[in-house]
Amino acid sequence: MSAPSWKDRLSGEMSPAMTLEIDTFEGQVELKKQGKLDDKFFAEARLRRGAYGQRYDNGLRSDGVEQRTLEFPQALTKGPDTQWDAPGMMRIKIPMGRLSIKQLEVHAELAEEYSDTILHITTRQDIQLHYIHIEDTPDMMRRLAAVGITTREACGNSVRNVTACEYSGVCSTESFDVTPYADACMKYFLGHPDVQDFGRKFKIAFSGCHDNPCGLVTFHDLGAVAMVVNGQRGFKVVVGGGLGAVPVEAKVLAEFCPAEELLPLSQAVARVFARLGEKQSRARARIKFLVDKLGLDEFKRLVQVEREGLRVDERWTENLKDLHRLDEKPIRPAGALPTGGPAAFQQWAKYNLKPQVQEGYYTAVVKLPLGDFTSRQARLIADLARDYTGDGIRCTVEQNLAMRWLSGADAIAFWERLSAIGFAEAGAGTITDMTSCPGTDTCKLGISSSRGLTAELKKRLTLVEDKLDTQVRELRIKSSGCFNSCGQHHVADIGFTGVSRQVGGRKVPHFNVVLGGQWTENAKQYGMVVGAVPSKNIPKTVQAITDHYVGHRESGESFQAFIARVGKKDFRGILKPLQVVPSYEEDKSFYSDWGDPREYTIGDIGIGECAGEIVPFVEFGLQAAEQELHNAQDVLDALDTRGGSPVTAATGAFQSMATAAKALVRHLDKQCRDDADDVALQFRTHVADPGLFNDPFAGNKFAHYFLSLHASKRYETANAEIAHKCLDEAQLFLDACHASYQRWLEANKNQAAE
Amino acid sequence: MQAQKLQVKFFAGAEISETALVPVFHDWIRERVVPDELLIDVADYSHVPDGPGVMIIGHQADHGVDRDGGRQGFTYSRKRLAEGEFPARVEDAFRRALRGCARLEAKSGLGARFGTGEVIFRIQDRLLAPNEAATVAAVRPVLDAVLAKIYPGQTAKVESIGEPREPLTLRITVNSTAGVSDLLARIDA
Repeated sequence: MSAPSWKDRLSGEMSPAMTLEIDTFEGQVELKKQGKLDDKFFAEARLRRGAYGQRYDNGLRSDGVEQRTLEFPQALTKGPDTQWDAPGMMRIKIPMGRLSIKQLEVHAELAEEYSDTILHITTRQDIQLHYIHIEDTPDMMRRLAAVGITTREACGNSVRNVTACEYSGVCSTESFDVTPYADACMKYFLGHPDVQDFGRKFKIAFSGCHDNPCGLVTFHDLGAVAMVVNGQRGFKVVVGGGLGAVPVEAKVLAEFCPAEELLPLSQAVARVFARLGEKQSRARARIKFLVDKLGLDEFKRLVQVEREGLRVDERWTENLKDLHRLDEKPIRPAGALPTGGPAAFQQWAKYNLKPQVQEGYYTAVVKLPLGDFTSRQARLIADLARDYTGDGIRCTVEQNLAMRWLSGADAIAFWERLSAIGFAEAGAGTITDMTSCPGTDTCKLGISSSRGLTAELKKRLTLVEDKLDTQVRELRIKSSGCFNSCGQHHVADIGFTGVSRQVGGRKVPHFNVVLGGQWTENAKQYGMVVGAVPSKNIPKTVQAITDHYVGHRESGESFQAFIARVGKKDFRGILKPLQVVPSYEEDKSFYSDWGDPREYTIGDIGIGECAGEIVPFVEFGLQAAEQELHNAQDVLDALDTRGGSPVTAATGAFQSMATAAKALVRHLDKQCRDDADDVALQFRTHVADPGLFNDPFAGNKFAHYFLSLHASKRYETANAEIAHKCLDEAQLFLDACHASYQRWLEANKNQAAE
Repeated sequence: MQAQKLQVKFFAGAEISETALVPVFHDWIRERVVPDELLIDVADYSHVPDGPGVMIIGHQADHGVDRDGGRQGFTYSRKRLAEGEFPARVEDAFRRALRGCARLEAKSGLGARFGTGEVIFRIQDRLLAPNEAATVAAVRPVLDAVLAKIYPGQTAKVESIGEPREPLTLRITVNSTAGVSDLLARIDA
């Protein structure tokens, strides 16, 4: 008896598209193991499905004394310089951070069976599981797909998770609920051909209003802020924002874009980015550089031209027909929040409960330490949701969980249950509610331990929280392990970014101190860098900065206003004594990082995978076609032994031809739908008729195989003989597609040389 | 039974400082104290209440001092590449868990000691070992054989704990005052 498999068990629970997607990926894993796939291609293939690299996956790790080789059992690789057996990270896209109870429970199962029992919420509302083996990823994807979650395009050079304010739909300041629009955007771009050929990732965010920070649209590649003008719903659309080493505020692409025009406008932006964005230099490949290079006016003009040339797609408005399809309903009657209750409850309610626009309901923020919680805790939170709030759980950009629709009347009981789980800590959105990227804990690019620092600051500040000045208590601290800024430190009141400094011939972990970033108004203002301080002096630095603020602020002066008024000079003076590093002999502790006793090194930094591999979309298409033909061959081989169907085999062969043809058409930057009729039409018009497919010896013969099979549809009634013929022709057609693509590349190269 | 993902946890008899544990686990990696396993890195989750505490992430298995269920203990968590049939794999997981406890007890200054009267045995695999009576029935004879070896002449009480959506978890209780080293000697005999 064969072993049970998740593939069999869940076969009826996944959509056909997800089933195919995951089976294809599993096939690629198998081909890679057999040495039949190129490293770069496989790396991009897995990244586009959320299977990311982790620190030390190049097989090297400093043990504090020397760099050692991690001797993984298999010599295989899963990308350039990436060991097959090395643990990796699985990034799971949670669009708008929306999680159902069942989805949360499945995450809990995956975390304990494949990871280390920890679910980690990211600053972009994803969930990450660490220490995953690549061979476990297809089953993980199946278990997620069975509850409607895809990891597709969670990494790689495509549209990443679409984020939105966690209060969408329950917020009193929003223009309208952006949830259905963000959902439509996510669905439209998932796997869309126009977002496959980017030189870099592309992040989209939605916000319900201008003033509050939850959507953070100003540092996104594309941001949409809800507006109602003359009774019409629409969005202010911004483009080209980003954090990273040089943060850039997004620029206004459209002051008001009607809601039904949002997707076509976004698609036009994507097409311009795909066509003109940088592909070679990763460091300059985000859209912010393209907008800067072209200038906003020229960028807008190109987008407009692109928009006018787009073929109408009914999906632009399909998901907007029912704007209430994602509405949540409370499961408990509304009620007033008790005025009494235990003091700890009142403190929690003050910071962690936000009144909803729906009277008698609140959104409860579950404050998670460093965005982490365990499988067991996830199940208990699922129970809480089941009993009190329903499916309205959202991951937040501040690495917490927002549980919507809590009746005020249930608040004490909810809090008591949360206390039993260990997550009833008050202070959501305050100085003890810090954000941090993974840093050197697991990230290949980490320079300093952002999580170690955050854990230490949290420990210290929690002890004195009750004694803190009110304005200090409401400051936000965010830390990033490197300049890539995943911890979003640029928009914190007090931000830290990891850097390394050489002192007396040794490396010392430091953090750059960034002050005065503005979280509100969708992260309106970036902070200023004041100077680098050794990691071990950062707690004293926080103390010194906040003391200076309390001692010298003007009446009612905000932290941002204070920083702007006093400028860098004051703070440079304050930091100066804290920048002194004692000699190694005096105090060795400065030469290791928070939470990591190994002597500090930057030798463990690897090549980041967030940039993805640059593999042209056409190559993915040709590879997918090969896979389809391979599957068709399997069906044909089973004709005698396992009763395979000749029609299935022949149809599969035709489909592989259509897939390859479509890839070539799109490579030529021509629009093409997925249906075979359009593929054949576009292939004839743009590839075959202009002679681009002509073989030097066979002429247009191989194009004819595809076009005549499409016209005759003889695959639909194929017997074994016809099926064999279809497969033979498909193989020749695919070979011709590869050859044509190679000829085109060669021609481009020669043209460039001339 | 094909399951590979076996966990064995012995409870701490005295509080172990997680701060002190981090460098100890780094030493384990540097000194390659588990010669037939590849130990990769230390993960510190001591900030998570009742969480996995401090653990070594390995290729074949993880080792850690956790607070799962609110009680501190050493957990050996096999993930893959366990050799032999299921009985051999179960015995091996117990042996390696005991070795881990012994190593921590031997570390001066850490103050670690572990009780032997209560053990958690868990199979983290809902596909190959669903949490249901039939799986428990299949596992019991194998587990009983290991328990007979480490607790000779004593009756161990084995009960299924937790709820159906959790992985199959068995709590073993036995009136044992033996030390970790005694159990280790018995299982190695």
